[in-house]
Amino acid sequence: MSIMSYNGAAIVAMAGKDCVAIASDRRFGVQAQTVSMDFQKIFPMGERLMVGLAGLATDVQTVSERLRFKMNMYKLREERDIEPVTFMHMISNLLYEKRFGPYFCEPVIAGIDKHGKPFISSTDLIGCPMTPGNFVVAGTCSEQLYGMCEALYVPDLGPEDLFETISQSLLNAQDRDALAGWGAVVHVITKDQVITRTLKSRMD
Amino acid sequence: TQSSWTLSGLENIASMVVDAISAPPAGLTQDFNQEVLTGTTIMAVAFDGGVIIGADSRTSSGSYVANRVTDKLTQINDTIFCCRSGSAADTQAIADYVKYYLSMHAVELGEQPEVRTAASIFQQLCYNNRDNLMAGIICAGWDKVNGGSVYTIPLGGMCVKQPFSIGGSGSTYVYGFCDANYKEKMSREECERFVKHAIALAIARDGSSGGVIRMAIIDKSGVERKVTLGNEVPRFYEGN
Repeated sequence: MSIMSYNGAAIVAMAGKDCVAIASDRRFGVQAQTVSMDFQKIFPMGERLMVGLAGLATDVQTVSERLRFKMNMYKLREERDIEPVTFMHMISNLLYEKRFGPYFCEPVIAGIDKHGKPFISSTDLIGCPMTPGNFVVAGTCSEQLYGMCEALYVPDLGPEDLFETISQSLLNAQDRDALAGWGAVVHVITKDQVITRTLKSRMD
Repeated sequence: TQSSWTLSGLENIASMVVDAISAPPAGLTQDFNQEVLTGTTIMAVAFDGGVIIGADSRTSSGSYVANRVTDKLTQINDTIFCCRSGSAADTQAIADYVKYYLSMHAVELGEQPEVRTAASIFQQLCYNNRDNLMAGIICAGWDKVNGGSVYTIPLGGMCVKQPFSIGGSGSTYVYGFCDANYKEKMSREECERFVKHAIALAIARDGSSGGVIRMAIIDKSGVERKVTLGNEVPRFYEGN
């Protein structure tokens, strides 16, 4: 029984034209049992930056809290918002510090940089960063998500189309995973605003 | 009143049932050698004039959902069904054997066998091969001698007759609901509602249960099958 599939999660982020979207499921479960259906897995780290964390739920919460602390300290010292690529390096360092006793979580980062360019990236549980440019996935149904994203993704989608694409990728992938699902939340980040939508999904 | 085929003959053949664990399915998880399971929710309730049986439709291999529209309600004869939980391969193999033996028995008997008999054959197979099988079965149906009956045959191979029975991994979440809401002598409609609600609640909490709710209503005129699709499954408390 893998520790990364003890709780279960589905996280996906996609890049569009001057916008990014990040989405996750809402399940909190202990192996097969679902305990709650409103568990937060995506955390805002600035006005145009969000991080989604898949993996062991306790580490999702611990890492998000540690990131929040580091973010607050960065803001106080730098007196500006952090750039997404810098944040990616911050996470990578945080995770690699625990190289031989890691946090069992895989982060997915989505944000817009100061020039308005979309940025998405993910790392593994010990901090290896990956910046593919189209989409990133994490969680117990990552293979299903890869399949859905490869099939549905086209570059340079606008915010509305990106929302539809990422929603369908997430919903259909999590329907093939027994440990992820029970609702979904999607954030679409543009230069001016963040639109958050909760999706009605299969609750099984 | 013993039937004409001998128990020892049956035992010989039954003990030759080889462990039918299937070859690793083409699941996409790291658990390539995880046996395909119907970690599931199954249920059967007897009412006046017949039985209603129900099940979810998820088959999982590790955390991968290998089949999301499985049919876990397997027909044994015209008025006898079984609900399968546990290893998909084991339960399919057992149900096939019982179907075969029961049909031979019906020819020898000259009339439709009782549900009791089918349950007894399930028990023989599950008990004598208990070390090699993982099968939790509910055998339910209608016969003219006893009306609707429900027999539960859990993992070790015991067999017990009950007014209603729940089984599978999802059943643990609805024991309280079923105990609180079961009434004797329910009508057909009340029974249907009871089964559908119980399975819906189990699907909501159990990761190994999901998909559609399949039901079969068995009475003297035969079987009526119903499917409740995902968007029509009753929804209860889901958080804020």
